[in-house]
Amino acid sequence: MKSLLFLLVPVFAFAQVPSGEEILKKVDENSWAKTRIFTSKMIVQGRRATRTITSKSWVKGDEAAFTEYLAPAREKGIKMLKMEDQLWTYSPQTDRIIRISGHMLRQSVMGSDLSYEDMMEDAEIVKKYDAKVEGSEVVLDCECWVLLLSAKDKDAAYQSRKVWVDKERYIILKEERYAKSGKLLKRTEILSVRRMGGRWVAGEILFRDLLKSGKGTKFIIESVEYNADIPDYIFSKASLRK
Amino acid sequence: MIKFLIKGLLRDRSKSLFPVLTVTAGVTLVVFAICWVGGVQTNMMSASAHFRTGHVKIMTRAYAEQSDLLPVDLALVGTDSLLGHLKASYPGMIWTQRILFAGLLDVPDESGETREQGTVAGIAISVLDPGSPEHKFLEMEKSIVRGRMPQKSYDCLISETFAQKLKVNPGDEVTLIGSTMFGAMSMTNFTVAGTVRFGISALDRGALIADITDVQTALDMDNGASEILGFFTDDIYHREKAVDLAEQFNIKNTDPDGEFSPVMLALEQQEGLAGMLDMVGMMSSVIITIFIVVMSIVLWNAGLMGNIRRYGEIGVRLAMGEAKGHLYRSLLLEAFAIGIFGSLIGTVLGLIVSFYLQYHGIDITSFLKDSTIMLPDVMRARVTSSAYFIGFLPGVCATFLGAAISGIGVYKRQTSQLFKELEV
Amino acid sequence: MLMFKLALRNILGAGLRTWLNVIVLSFSFVAIIYMQGIYDGMQDQASQAEIQFAYGGGQYWHAAYDPYDPFSLQDSHGKIAPELQDKINDGEATPVLIVQGSMYPNGRLKPVLLKGIDPAQKTVAIPSAVLAKEKDAIPALIGARTARNSGLKIGDYVTIRWRDANGTFDAQEVKIMEIMNTLVQSIDNGQIWMPLEQLRQLSGMPDEATLVILGQETDSPAQVSLGWVHKDMDFLLKDLKQLVKTKTIGASVMYIALLLLAMLAIFDTQVLSLFRRRKEIGTLVSLGMTRVQVIKLFTFEGAMHGILAAGVAALYGIPLFIYSAKAGWKLPQVTEGYGLSIGQTLFPVFGAGLVVGTIFLVMITVTIVSYLPTRRILKLKPTDALRGKMS
Repeated sequence: MKSLLFLLVPVFAFAQVPSGEEILKKVDENSWAKTRIFTSKMIVQGRRATRTITSKSWVKGDEAAFTEYLAPAREKGIKMLKMEDQLWTYSPQTDRIIRISGHMLRQSVMGSDLSYEDMMEDAEIVKKYDAKVEGSEVVLDCECWVLLLSAKDKDAAYQSRKVWVDKERYIILKEERYAKSGKLLKRTEILSVRRMGGRWVAGEILFRDLLKSGKGTKFIIESVEYNADIPDYIFSKASLRK
Repeated sequence: MIKFLIKGLLRDRSKSLFPVLTVTAGVTLVVFAICWVGGVQTNMMSASAHFRTGHVKIMTRAYAEQSDLLPVDLALVGTDSLLGHLKASYPGMIWTQRILFAGLLDVPDESGETREQGTVAGIAISVLDPGSPEHKFLEMEKSIVRGRMPQKSYDCLISETFAQKLKVNPGDEVTLIGSTMFGAMSMTNFTVAGTVRFGISALDRGALIADITDVQTALDMDNGASEILGFFTDDIYHREKAVDLAEQFNIKNTDPDGEFSPVMLALEQQEGLAGMLDMVGMMSSVIITIFIVVMSIVLWNAGLMGNIRRYGEIGVRLAMGEAKGHLYRSLLLEAFAIGIFGSLIGTVLGLIVSFYLQYHGIDITSFLKDSTIMLPDVMRARVTSSAYFIGFLPGVCATFLGAAISGIGVYKRQTSQLFKELEV
Repeated sequence: MLMFKLALRNILGAGLRTWLNVIVLSFSFVAIIYMQGIYDGMQDQASQAEIQFAYGGGQYWHAAYDPYDPFSLQDSHGKIAPELQDKINDGEATPVLIVQGSMYPNGRLKPVLLKGIDPAQKTVAIPSAVLAKEKDAIPALIGARTARNSGLKIGDYVTIRWRDANGTFDAQEVKIMEIMNTLVQSIDNGQIWMPLEQLRQLSGMPDEATLVILGQETDSPAQVSLGWVHKDMDFLLKDLKQLVKTKTIGASVMYIALLLLAMLAIFDTQVLSLFRRRKEIGTLVSLGMTRVQVIKLFTFEGAMHGILAAGVAALYGIPLFIYSAKAGWKLPQVTEGYGLSIGQTLFPVFGAGLVVGTIFLVMITVTIVSYLPTRRILKLKPTDALRGKMS
């Protein structure tokens, strides 16, 4: 869930021209909120039909996230809970709490171009990647820093990434993830930036698995609330059954 | 004269009984052998047909291209009307729909949380309907190790090895996690009604059989199926018919541009089975030829012996002044009658044995201890159309030929010798 | 010896009738041996193919390896046990590393197993040498079935993606160097063969393997470190043997029918002989031969058909067998006709056991069938027999 979340970056302004490290830090800092509550739509373009899945998520810092699916009818009531590096899902039809682990983490989430693993990824990229400024480019009519990120540890899912950071709002407008070989695997594009909850937020995001032919998965943030009080019981397995 | 000859045949056992018995036995064996070879041919294909290919199979074009991946998202939709159409258009066939899917089977602990998980290969078939042809095709009742057959909605069977791995017993509830036709996650509870052993390593590792209506609901494919299998009512694969059927169906129903338009493939158009069929067909013809040749010689010999046995009788008849030509012709006629009669009985007997073995078969499980692969464990004969007449060929011709050759001896007999021979 | 001469003279005297019987019996010999030879050939060839291409002289598996559980692959690789490494260094074994991945032919995801093999290996007959020919791209070798399912052709490039030992994504294009048309599915279906060292490097698993294939002549090391499990040929070829066994059972019914047909001829002949030679029997008994001796003579005469048949069968059977075993049966196109072709000709195998066994079986049956009708001699009164009467 987090990789989506770090795109919901609020905007701070910095005066000086920062290093890659600093830019990344700012992006991370800006994305950070004690809590977030947001509703979103995921548009999955399949070979046969296009589906829109609506969900509401409660997120506490980096540790925990809880999502409830609201629509369509089939998915309504499905819940997901992420605590640290564990993921559970609950479906009302079965009244079962199922741990998603191992092989299943690599499956696509609701038929989208994102895997559970993609969603589980830790948001704090500054801890995991070294950043280098590669230049400037214009994305969505905004001047952006182009940062090349290379993984500090060997166990990162992507050894390198490229991010385009808005020079003014310090929001990531585009991201590419690369294989060890340097081959481009996935691309995330921000299609629009909106002001929500008093911050600048990526309102419409397009994810694409570039090895596959397909139109990708669109993610639309409908509303977001920052630093609201979320009771702790939300982030418990018991709340999955509620 | 024919009446006279027949009377003679009927009244003299050595003239009739023995030769007829020989012809009968020979023809019975040949008819049976032909049916058996046909059966072996069918046996070899029946496992493939029942488990995977059908005699014909309908899929969407997109599914057919990737069928190895079991892509439920490319499945057929509107199968109810398609099935109705098929049943109306091809009344000589049995049609059945299946869904093949991959997923995860999750076993809960007491609190309903995950205790064990395993990947599962699912087969959804019409199993709750007692009249479903699938019971015969997959022989599930026979394969049950523990528990019972599914009797109500959301009952399922899983393979015994898999059940042991997941520590699941009949009666336990498990959750199937799969992906719907539209890619959404689907979770559905099933009750393990029983466990089965297929004897195919790949399936025994993790297979689940459930009723198709339940799986349609689970995978959000209402009125949809991965494939529709068609079987000839005699459960025998007829090559030309099947290929022809597929061709006709595709001309009418397949849209070359529509990736979801249905396409029909005959058994031999799948998995490279045509080559296999050709090979088996070739071997069968060789075997049948050998049989017919062998039997012809046997009956030819029997014909020769028949006349030798009647040496004395022929002598008397010649001595009494019967013309050699007349005698020879009567011998030929008798041989012909014996041939026809023996072949008739032989064909009937051969067919009876073959029909019996077509329906009951020989159970060979005792020969195959600890079999690990899917094999037809009952060997059956198959009565082919040629079995009805092919026995007559050697049965009549060879007997006739034998009599004709040995009968020539009649002309060599010298009247002067006859009485000397008849003295004793 | 007298009996032998007598029997031989008697049956040769019957002329055409004897020869027809002999021909029929010889057909049975040849047909049974030939059919069974084809089945044996099938088993031999299929197991030879599996041995040559996949199993070698047995395998050692990493303890966690389970070919039916692709998800176990993540953990089923490790450093090769030193005892096995010695064999590999001596060229008596070859390691294979298996990594789970996906390929994307035409933008469609297909799960594949990436299998690394030493291009220079000689242990199995996989044409791995083609993997040494390409320097600019990662060379890959696939089977005809994989090629058909993915629409790949020789010279095509296809993207593969996998995760290295640490879980990091990696993707590369590989170039299809060759497509092998093999009947051995365990080296074809959903697999891409690559140079071992390259796969080790790409997957971050230096010096590691999932399994080690021993050469056909290689003895298993006396002791192998924990973590490597020996899989012998009985285990590896179990499924195949069962399959051929069922086919053999089906064929034995044919053999029985064929034998019955031949026996019918012998039985017929014996009955006729007894009938025709009543006087002779009477004479023999009157001259002092015991009835049992007469039975022996007649049984021996019948069995003589079998001996003659064996001789006749040898006359045309041996050249036929030799020719067939050499030339083989050209199989129809079992797999699609492109790429390297392997095992398209079936060579029947005529083992000594098969030939001797068949002759023995036929001789026993002929003797029994020859004996059965002669039992009535026991009840024979010589006086009646002399007068040509037999009850």
